[in-house]
Amino acid sequence: MNAPGVDISQPPLPLRRRLVELLLGGGLLASAASFLYPILRYIVPPPSADLGGDTVVAGKVGDLKPNSGRIFRFGSKPGLLVFTADREYRALSATCTHLDCTVQYRDDLHQVWCACHNGIYDLNGRNVSGPPPRPLESYEVHVQGDEIVVTRRQKA
Amino acid sequence: MTRRVLQTAILTLLLAALGSPGLAPPAAAQQPNTCLDCHSEFPEPLGVTREKFAADVHAQKGLTCASCHGGDPTKATPEESMSRAAGFRGHVDRRQVPDLCARCHSDAAYMRQYNPSLRTDQLSQYHTSVHGKRLAQGDARVAVCTDCHSVHDIRPGSDARATIHPLNIAETCSRCHSDAAYMKPYKIPTDQYAGYKESVHHRALAVRGDLSAPTCTTCHGNHGAAPPGVASVEFVCSNCHVFQAQLFDTSPHKSAFEAAGLPACVTCHSNHRVVAPGDAMLGTGPQSACTGCHVEGDGGYTAALSFQRRIAELQTAVERSGEILNRAEQYGMEVSEAKLEQAQARDALTKARVTIHSFQIDQVEKDVQAGLKITEKTYQAGVLALQERDFRRKGLGISLLAILVVLVGLRLYIRQIESGEGKGSA
Ligand code: FES
Repeated sequence: MNAPGVDISQPPLPLRRRLVELLLGGGLLASAASFLYPILRYIVPPPSADLGGDTVVAGKVGDLKPNSGRIFRFGSKPGLLVFTADREYRALSATCTHLDCTVQYRDDLHQVWCACHNGIYDLNGRNVSGPPPRPLESYEVHVQGDEIVVTRRQKA
Repeated sequence: MTRRVLQTAILTLLLAALGSPGLAPPAAAQQPNTCLDCHSEFPEPLGVTREKFAADVHAQKGLTCASCHGGDPTKATPEESMSRAAGFRGHVDRRQVPDLCARCHSDAAYMRQYNPSLRTDQLSQYHTSVHGKRLAQGDARVAVCTDCHSVHDIRPGSDARATIHPLNIAETCSRCHSDAAYMKPYKIPTDQYAGYKESVHHRALAVRGDLSAPTCTTCHGNHGAAPPGVASVEFVCSNCHVFQAQLFDTSPHKSAFEAAGLPACVTCHSNHRVVAPGDAMLGTGPQSACTGCHVEGDGGYTAALSFQRRIAELQTAVERSGEILNRAEQYGMEVSEAKLEQAQARDALTKARVTIHSFQIDQVEKDVQAGLKITEKTYQAGVLALQERDFRRKGLGISLLAILVVLVGLRLYIRQIESGEGKGSA
């Protein structure tokens, strides 16, 4: 390895050894940091929880008064959770089938309403009046403990 | 004398009652129908094949040729089956068709047994229609029941093959109304169907398959078909376009249009050729609906420009923030929360386009501002997500570099040890 003419009987310079150790130590430290950082980031919880995929926690029991509704996040799409006057939970897609506005629950009509062109859906998501051409997708709702869990229906 | 009159009256009533369909239950379908034995062999217009007649809703409910044409289809000889004594009337004159159909269809008690929810006011509606009025004046060229419903293969409107199925109605009307030669004496346009086929209504109905989307009869009525007229066109449109009509009523255009004798809605949107409205209808460009009345220098002209500018600004902002969020998402960044908010910005844009019908800039401005506030936030979220992506990329670069340094360091260290050992063993 050593070039001919270099005296290998000379002891290596202490400076060179220090340099190599510094390089190695520093490199190890930096790699350790770059491995640990993402792990730490992973452990710290993100600002909002999403069960991912086809299920989401839409809220807690007691969040909603009877005859009211609220928007929850289902992936990157809005969903509408309604607690009916008869104390039943209903969950629907909140994206209007007309021109994609976000629908809302109207406690005076007991129906789902789209403010953009006065589209109206019933609590099963069926389009009952106005321009919406199709029903809203409806989801399954289960109460697990004190959580309201909404699940996309399996396509038959 | 009075007795004779009374006797005749009673006799007439009795005969009418006997002849009334309510008292005559439909002949059972299995009874022989000797009419078809011959007429299925005849060419048109006398011919009616068994298949054709079997498709007719009346045949399916047990009615026979005799129900409309009289006679007795159970008799084998033409003399008997088509005898005037058996009430045979043969060919039905066009002018008599509405009354003939109405014998059953205007009889609520009779119709109830077949379809309790079917309306029974078709004839009285027909009398109010342009067709019905002209027929009453002796014009036999106008549409009667059979022209729209077909003759021997009448299907219910729910049947996709029916001439009156929502998807087929426009074509059914166009058979006469697009025939320039046939319509000539009436001096009305014949381009309605061509216009309608380009309309947003037709697209919703035929392309998107929304059977509730409007066709001819939605705006003109069916049995009582007539043009809505200048004064009532707004009511017709507002059956579906509720908000636009409400806003229009509060707008300065309401009284101005009335004063000028201009119909609401169709003045800007046209009638049969209602194309999908776009932002180009605002402003003062070549597709502007405003420049038909407004000229440079007047208030409406300036307003038109501001409407267009504000809507365009929101549209651009929505597109810009949508684009950056999509880009961030493609790079695997978590932006679902921001995308959810982005939907609200799109809502605001849609609402602003509806609010235009108030023709008041401050009302439109409210929606525009609401939208802009959201897009500002979502755009920032997109910027942050991309910054985070850059940070991660740099982090990856640095950690790779660190690993490289370790490898080089290790290599050098090993060499040092080896050289130390080499010296020791020498
Ligand atoms: S977007 Fe919902 S009614 Fe038009």
